[in-house]
Amino acid sequence: MSTAPFAAVPALVLGGVALALTAWRWPADKLGLGTSRLAFRVLGGLALAVVLLLPAAARLSAIPILAPALAVAAVAVSVGEEIAFRGALFAALEEAGGGPPAVIGSTALWTAAHALSHPPAFLVTVAAAGLLLGLWRLACRDLVAPIIGHVIADLAL
Amino acid sequence: MKRSALLAAAAALYLATAWMVAPGFYDGFAPPQPYNFVCPPPQAGANSAPASGQLVIKVINGVSDANSAFTDDGQVVIGFLPGAFDVTGKTSVKVDITPVSPCPKPAGLHFSTNTYQIAADAPLIKSSTLVMRYSNLVADPSFMYRADTVDGPWKPIEVSAQAQVWTIDSKTDKFGYFAAGYPQGAVSTGGGGGSQILPVTIAILIVLVLVGGVPMTILRRRQARSGNAGEDDEEEA
Repeated sequence: MSTAPFAAVPALVLGGVALALTAWRWPADKLGLGTSRLAFRVLGGLALAVVLLLPAAARLSAIPILAPALAVAAVAVSVGEEIAFRGALFAALEEAGGGPPAVIGSTALWTAAHALSHPPAFLVTVAAAGLLLGLWRLACRDLVAPIIGHVIADLAL
Repeated sequence: MKRSALLAAAAALYLATAWMVAPGFYDGFAPPQPYNFVCPPPQAGANSAPASGQLVIKVINGVSDANSAFTDDGQVVIGFLPGAFDVTGKTSVKVDITPVSPCPKPAGLHFSTNTYQIAADAPLIKSSTLVMRYSNLVADPSFMYRADTVDGPWKPIEVSAQAQVWTIDSKTDKFGYFAAGYPQGAVSTGGGGGSQILPVTIAILIVLVLVGGVPMTILRRRQARSGNAGEDDEEEA
């Protein structure tokens, strides 16, 4: 986030929407977006958020509180990323080659996409987070929890 | 069981990797790269030494050129307008930005950033824009401070509207020592958060997961048992 916030926010929101559009015409259940077991999915999302934020919570003395506009951008980007990578891409890879290639492929591309915006030091952590979220997606046939966990993590950091 | 073990292993792997780089999970809304502290706070994790910067500005037709000096890690940037320096008798102007070590700790002030000495071999005659980046691991600075010597006295200089996230901007017409921070005991007026918000949030989330998850697990087990019993009854019938 090295650009001016006023320019960055609309760009990020548009980017998030564009990512979400990759799931166009995919049925919700293929994306892991069904509403069955909703309480389980929501609790799973909270649990994933705990895991994602635990290292920061153990270390930080102060955290940034995002300005409302940036918070909107954070939500748009994290929802868009989840729908694109662990929704549409995961579903396509799973159809083509099964679960393990879907987890590995979506994690690899998610990490590669973050290489454009992140310093190399963070990419191992990004990959590990992608692997965790991807395994949840595979094991629980669910994308709601990764979305919730990712949104909370982005809002906090 | 296999599913839970796989997820637990992935969570453990994530925690191990995230512990190696502060703040851990990071998706671009924090500063673009970890701040390099001269005196890292305990929560900083791995830390690299901050960089210095140097710039030689050409003097063309008796006027110093427009240019920007910055540290190699981008933590300090100072921009000069054309004719910013008194260049009498000079063909170029050399600007140096150097992180100061040990960290000054002036009474009554808390510095969020490193302290940098910015010096040049010609005096300024026009204000220059100074931008300092700060870490998301510390409270936001409210002011930028300048001093002629590292021992002070430190005086606040006017802060401009924030143009970028995680930076504090100001203008200066003098070189010297610069740092961004806030008066000791003051509440940061920037976007910085409270010191305990994240740990408290995580604690609340853990409670929610336990309060919701334990009854849900018990219920599912009971349903599974009664389902099995139902199947047994049907088989007996």
